[in-house]
Amino acid sequence: MARNDKLRILVGTRKGTYVVESDRTRRSWKVGPVAHEGNEVYHVVADPRHPGDLYAAVNNMFFGPEVQRSRNWGKTWTEIATPLAPMRKDREFQMNEGNPSAPVPRPLNNLWHIEPGLPSEPDTLYLGADPHLLFRSRDLGASWVPIDAINQHPARKDWSPGFGGACLHTIIIDPRDADRLYIGMSSVGTFRSEDGGKSWTPTNKGVEAPFLPNKFPETGQCVHHVAIDAKDPDTFYRQDHGGVYVSHDRMSSWKRIGKPLGDDFGFCVASPASAPGKAYFVRLDGRARVTGEGHFQVQEWTDKTRKWRKLLTSKAFPGHFGVQREGIATDNLAPAGIYVGTTTGQVFVSPDAGRTWKQIPFQFPAIHSVSVSNPDPR
Amino acid sequence: MAPSIDVRFDNWLREYGPRGPEKVEADSVARLLDVLEERHPRLRFKVRDETGKLRRYVRVFVDGSDVSGTTGVATSLAGAKTIDILHSVAGG
Repeated sequence: MARNDKLRILVGTRKGTYVVESDRTRRSWKVGPVAHEGNEVYHVVADPRHPGDLYAAVNNMFFGPEVQRSRNWGKTWTEIATPLAPMRKDREFQMNEGNPSAPVPRPLNNLWHIEPGLPSEPDTLYLGADPHLLFRSRDLGASWVPIDAINQHPARKDWSPGFGGACLHTIIIDPRDADRLYIGMSSVGTFRSEDGGKSWTPTNKGVEAPFLPNKFPETGQCVHHVAIDAKDPDTFYRQDHGGVYVSHDRMSSWKRIGKPLGDDFGFCVASPASAPGKAYFVRLDGRARVTGEGHFQVQEWTDKTRKWRKLLTSKAFPGHFGVQREGIATDNLAPAGIYVGTTTGQVFVSPDAGRTWKQIPFQFPAIHSVSVSNPDPR
Repeated sequence: MAPSIDVRFDNWLREYGPRGPEKVEADSVARLLDVLEERHPRLRFKVRDETGKLRRYVRVFVDGSDVSGTTGVATSLAGAKTIDILHSVAGG
């Protein structure tokens, strides 16, 4: 495999997938391959274990969802196996009259997140989907096995969707232990598994659910996204419907850190590899769901000093911008690159950990997700 | 013997396998889709969802009549000559 010196932003939009190319300087950008035209692409991700492999969660409003893969950095794509969504008869779903005890299929609504496994499991992928479904593949997506402890969870009947649906949108693998998994679902909250997905523990202690009569339930929080710290895998940063939180104990408890922001609503969070202890959020007005101060902005949290800093204090990009849950990403270079995609199709880039910003000179469709494919280490 | 029926697809569905019109022997829409999915595996779950129902934004016309919102996949094809499978007018 030839050395890869390109840094790519993978942009999932309401109308397709865009691969945007640059190099380590991250100063100039070129829109490269475009694919899945006309499809809603909720997530695009590179598989660093297999350079050149990209995966996309493609949701076609007419013909349903597909997992697609490219083996050449997005130049061509093919559909790989897309899982069924089996459900038991004791749920509220359609019965299988011929064999009442058998799981019956129900529609898989949308695919939300694809997570490549650890380097120690080079053929493993995880897939999160609506309605509240988790799948694992051990053969790079040629087949999928449902994680029954979530997909047949006895409390499912009490799980509610958020406005975006019953989405399982966050999947995090502890880099030290492939069996320690974390998921986030709207509006159910986060869960942790210590046994490779055989059993799950709710992990929402301390997270407020302002839209429920019981403000601090075990589950029912509308988690929007979670990021793991690059150097301390016991630390997580969480953007919830009910504010911004940090956990230092593998999600066993959460501390709200967002109150100094005033309204700490938002959808996205990212924590860069080159700056552990930092996390980036895009604070939104809780009602309008756009940046509320008349311009694009990003907030930086420094865990050590417990301080917030606005990265854009000037009005370089005036307007009201929406950013969805997969709408922010960081690269693994130093200083960190920060990438934000908006619901009105702008991609904002900082190549220097938020000191300077520019907008990629291309109007994308509404953006669901941005992620980064990093260049090979020097 | 099941009738032989001409099946036509729109451009988007042709990306999933059928290159043009096809002939299928089937006595119901469900059976016709079974045959097509066997010929073109990527059609599976595209026209019908995982429960076997037609997807919300897919239209099936039997000799020009839309059966999607009525008898759906259970529609008998006795005497039918032509099926059109299209995606509906939707989106933006």
